[in-house]
Amino acid sequence: MNRLGLALRLLKRDASSGELTLLVLALIIAVTSSTAISLFADRMHRTMSTQAAEFLAADLVITSSSIIPEEWVRKAEELGLQRARTAEFSTVLIENDELLLAGVKAVSNLYPLRGELKTTQTDFEQETVQQSGPNQGEVWIDSRVLAMLKLAVGDELTVGETPLTVSQIITYEPDKRGDLYSLSPRVMISDADLEATKVLQPGSHVHFFYQFSGEADALAAFTAWVKPWLIPGQRLMDVQEDRPELGSALSRAERYLGLSSIIVILIAGVAIAMSTRRYSERHFNSTAILRCLGCKQNDILVLFLYQFVILGIIACSIGSILGWFAQEALFELLRDMLPAKVAAPSLIAVMLGFLTGFAILIGFALPPLLRLKKVSPLRVLRRELEPLSSSAWIVYGLALVLISGLIWRYTQDAKLMLAIIGGGLATAALSGVLLLGLLKQLRKLLPHVSLSYRLGLQGVLRNPVASVTQILAFSITLLAMLLSFTVRNDLIQDWQQQLPTDAPNHFAMNILPDQVSQFEQYLVQQAIPAAQIYPVTRGRLVGINDVPVQQIVSKDSQGERATHRDLSLTWGNQLPSDNKTVAGQWGEAQMGEVSIESKLAASLNVGMGDKLTFSIGSEQLNAVVAHIRTVQWDTMKPNFYMVFSDGTLDNFPTTYITSFYVPKGKKKVLNGLAKQFPSMTLLEVDAILEQFKTILTQLTAAINYLLYFALLAGFTVLFASVNSTLDNRINEGALMRTLGANRTLLNQAHWVEFSIIGVVSGLIAVLMFELVSFGLYTYVLHLDFHFNWLLVLLTPIVSAGCVVAAGLWGVKDVANKPPMWVLREVT
Amino acid sequence: MLKNNEAIIETQNLGKTVPVADGDLTILSSVNLTINEGESIAIVGASGSGKSTLLGLLAGLDSPTSGNVTLDGTELTALDEDGRAEVRNKLVGFVFQSFQLMPRLTALENVMLPLELRGDKGAEHTAIALLKRVGLEERLHHTPMKLSGGEQQRVALARAFVTEPAILFADEPTGNLDSKTGDQIIELLFELNKEKHTTLVLVTHDAALAARCQRTVHIDAGKLT
Repeated sequence: MNRLGLALRLLKRDASSGELTLLVLALIIAVTSSTAISLFADRMHRTMSTQAAEFLAADLVITSSSIIPEEWVRKAEELGLQRARTAEFSTVLIENDELLLAGVKAVSNLYPLRGELKTTQTDFEQETVQQSGPNQGEVWIDSRVLAMLKLAVGDELTVGETPLTVSQIITYEPDKRGDLYSLSPRVMISDADLEATKVLQPGSHVHFFYQFSGEADALAAFTAWVKPWLIPGQRLMDVQEDRPELGSALSRAERYLGLSSIIVILIAGVAIAMSTRRYSERHFNSTAILRCLGCKQNDILVLFLYQFVILGIIACSIGSILGWFAQEALFELLRDMLPAKVAAPSLIAVMLGFLTGFAILIGFALPPLLRLKKVSPLRVLRRELEPLSSSAWIVYGLALVLISGLIWRYTQDAKLMLAIIGGGLATAALSGVLLLGLLKQLRKLLPHVSLSYRLGLQGVLRNPVASVTQILAFSITLLAMLLSFTVRNDLIQDWQQQLPTDAPNHFAMNILPDQVSQFEQYLVQQAIPAAQIYPVTRGRLVGINDVPVQQIVSKDSQGERATHRDLSLTWGNQLPSDNKTVAGQWGEAQMGEVSIESKLAASLNVGMGDKLTFSIGSEQLNAVVAHIRTVQWDTMKPNFYMVFSDGTLDNFPTTYITSFYVPKGKKKVLNGLAKQFPSMTLLEVDAILEQFKTILTQLTAAINYLLYFALLAGFTVLFASVNSTLDNRINEGALMRTLGANRTLLNQAHWVEFSIIGVVSGLIAVLMFELVSFGLYTYVLHLDFHFNWLLVLLTPIVSAGCVVAAGLWGVKDVANKPPMWVLREVT
Repeated sequence: MLKNNEAIIETQNLGKTVPVADGDLTILSSVNLTINEGESIAIVGASGSGKSTLLGLLAGLDSPTSGNVTLDGTELTALDEDGRAEVRNKLVGFVFQSFQLMPRLTALENVMLPLELRGDKGAEHTAIALLKRVGLEERLHHTPMKLSGGEQQRVALARAFVTEPAILFADEPTGNLDSKTGDQIIELLFELNKEKHTTLVLVTHDAALAARCQRTVHIDAGKLT
């Protein structure tokens, strides 16, 4: 209690003397940014998840070919989950002598649980957002159905044996499925009418989608509970798993948001370490006095730890509150770009920001604080006695573990964590050694340069280890910024390249072989760029090396999903341009060979030379894996798990598939296509694409704003570093001016010193950046890496500019205060 | 060169006030003082009497709120800070109570500094000679942290005299030293002063030290008495 009292008194004294201002400021900024980012990222993520859930029209879906047990429904109710059910089946509709194969969807009351169902009554104008599906006795249809069956709103349409009234035209259906072959013109009816249609007979092919939404905990509990009960033919889908293209975009976004958070945390950590170092150095003398007065080493440590814990609580609390406002302001700024409804801020995220700040404080502040414990009481007599700092290495190890933990929390990605930590440490160590060598060489210049250069250089050389630390701190900041900017730009560029403005917005399937040339001609006539057209044979993977595939695949894996349904099998010696070879060669594939997508291969544990058995119609076909490749799923182009060598599938029935872009004004082309090729199925992906683009745009905005926090934190380090040497500088500047130096000389010396630090920091940063980004791009983000010479040139210049500008601003008092005043202040 | 019995420092109605919470605080008021070339003068007074403030104004380290200071014919009050710095570099040397050496520089570099600020070519040679004169030839490359208080003040003396200034301002030069070391420093100070024909302005509260100067002025509550 006594110690706490003493700690409080010391803290109060330090605080009133302004001693702690910079440290607290650094801490507050760290916590503000980490809380804001924690909240922001959390809210963005939850908003994104909610929007991504639109694709499922729910948070969680169980697909089943039969009705699920009543017990499951009860369990979901017990957990407070909302439920909806849709039943999908194909049926032929006949009206006005026209025949149409339609996809019927019977929906229950609460459908859709997520996302919006939109309809119109006047053909694409005056869209209405519907809270639920059609009422009993009504039917909602695609406009295509309207045209093909020559119907009008208000007419009767018989589904199965039940006549229903056409009351709405569906313009947007959130969970319109992406499996291209199940898409037929939509006819939506009420669940209550399902039985009356008498379409559903024993053995008829129906897909039930049991949709659930609710709290994350309840969903997780339900998932855990229901998983063991799933039988083949039943499958759990959530936002991450359902659509490969969405999943990959979301997980990339998660990684990037995480990366931004780590950058801010790292930079804030550096700022805190620098401030604490300064704080502890300024307390060597007073600590020596305390030791003289009888304080034991542990007393000293406890005394300072108490102060830091109190300081931490105060600064973290202020930071958390400011962080809350910061992210509120951020969302306010982003209002127009964000969905109307953004997930509410969560207290857990605030707590997380608070704890993160505290963890950073302890992790980075302990090493310099531990030095205070070692201050010798003899220092009162001999000021030059500096406490040892050897054990700091161990504690920095602790900080490293702590940061690794934080990185893990944000990324959940061991590879990324290792890339950052390993790459960072190795380059920091290497750069440290190289820098010390460089400074040694610079010392040789001293006798040959003019006074201002010498003073500047001496400023850098006087304490080489401190200068190296400072340069490395700047380098880390710059490296982080470089990574933020470039990775962000490259990711966005990568996304934009994948989704150009004329990204395909239509898939045409079931094109018969003898129609292919006519089809291509039609597109040419309509001036629609001819897309690559692929042959397709439907088949299912049934065996690997003569072992039935169901014995091999693990439940809920990609392999399981791919083997539970017919796959689109294609062939050709030319692979889609965005596919990349992982193993083998494909150009001259032999008969009976197959190329497999790498993730599926990994999930199925299939390697080169393995024999795969496919069931196609009533026949079986064997093929040897001769090639493994990656596939870009989010390109809106036809993609294939399996590509066979030419001729291998010759004897099987084949149709063709392609995708192409039709501008909004030319939609009539589609009617012509549909009339000329009646057997063809057209899938309009405009709506899906639009949603996908919205998500990307919003993510880009989120990433931009996270980056500003990183920038802010970066400048904090800069000022913390300048401020940590400010007292000495003012003292020295005053002395120099007392001895007759003018402002120009002092400014020149500062210019030289900050330029050296800036240029060297920039060089180190850009070299580290090239190394780290090579690792990131090649092994984590899977983007192409290019060495950027322009950055190597520009970074040191920009870095010097920033460091000099901030540095001169930071030391403006050195030249501006009358020497008399300054001398009195410091003496 | 300056001639004897010519005023080298002159003040007219010199005053300094600083703003405080409830108005202005007068530190110095109406100081009229003339110091001749080659003269040694002691300014004595109690703590807080304003003697250091006066020294700062005389040396052009600070600017007065009223009156003016003329140093070797140059009116300091008419100059900006850089102008005053130039005058200091040409005319003035300093010795402080707390030594005020540049901690990053060695003894030699500290002494060279005023010469380098002038752009003198033979700075190193002159500085070494003077450091030898103050008995520190073995300590040329030591930084202040590695020197004793007495040694640090010797470096400060060497630095003060290295430019052969017309005027030396000394602010309690023995204040941080034991009496024996202090005495040695004072001896050295007066010896050098004599050798270099410097005008000495010494601020002290030590009557014995003041007595060694040719003239003593007393300051009390900001006024010369």
